[in-house]
Amino acid sequence: MPPVSTAAHDGDDVRAAAAGDRHAFQRLYRLHVGRVYGALHRLAGYDHARTEDLTQDAFIRAWQKLPDFRHESAFGTWLYRLAVNVALMDIRARGADPVSMVDDEHLPDPGDTPFCAAEREELEQAIGRLPPRARAVLVLHDIEGWRHEDIGGELGMAVGTSKAQLHRARRLLRKTLGEDS
Amino acid sequence: MNEFEWRRQLRELHQPREPGRDLWPAIDAALDGAAGARAPRRNQSQRRRWLLAAALAASVVLAGGVGWRLLQAPTASTGTAASSTWKPADPRLAGAAIELDAARMELELAIRQAPDSAALQRLLRHTEQQQAQLRHLADRAS
Repeated sequence: MPPVSTAAHDGDDVRAAAAGDRHAFQRLYRLHVGRVYGALHRLAGYDHARTEDLTQDAFIRAWQKLPDFRHESAFGTWLYRLAVNVALMDIRARGADPVSMVDDEHLPDPGDTPFCAAEREELEQAIGRLPPRARAVLVLHDIEGWRHEDIGGELGMAVGTSKAQLHRARRLLRKTLGEDS
Repeated sequence: MNEFEWRRQLRELHQPREPGRDLWPAIDAALDGAAGARAPRRNQSQRRRWLLAAALAASVVLAGGVGWRLLQAPTASTGTAASSTWKPADPRLAGAAIELDAARMELELAIRQAPDSAALQRLLRHTEQQQAQLRHLADRAS
């Protein structure tokens, strides 16, 4: 999992926030919101409204759990992981279909998708159209840099299943983009 | 697009992104409600600390009382068990036995609430040792 490098000196604010200092927590929010929002935005399929809700939930949960933070990792890493867990819980709570259950016919017609896949916005749109769990596996592995062991642990699946689902998610994405692999 | 280019584009999506609006006011307002979720943990921790302090204080008082009674007891009646059924004939030793039994029961109750407390376990062992010592004293005196 990639390290978070934005917060090398936020230890004092973390300790103060854990003790109930709201201003310290606000400083932590300002420092880390970009990374948290970015990850949640990708996991939420680039849906801004949902990403805002998830971001708020993540910081509220962080506030609640901060007294348990043991400083064994960087605060940013802890917060990032917590935020991703919030997004994955949301996916599970919505009863998202597993990738293996996704039918190709449910994907949007490639003809409806802008066809220049080299452009970032189009790629994001295509990822946003993936089924939630397929998107989670692809985003966590190919964009966030997670290992299959971590993905499997968070999504409650075996490593082999995570690999198989990633393969299928990539194929679905290519199909969404109108590419045949 | 080849596989290399494909992976590169995906990795480039890994960027921080700022929200379109400031989310802090909503989070700040929600923290008022979330503050309550922190309280039980703190209360539980305080209760556990209080319980430990009370157990320690009780143990000190008990140890002093038992020691005093043992020093004041040149003779004692016989006894065969350390459980609450054991009651030496000597009223001084009998009083100590009752106090030790009560202390042990309270410690066992406290341990049920805080099974991971090494201090409570240590106090229980200490109390059991005192009970054994009391039995030994009663045996010698008989």
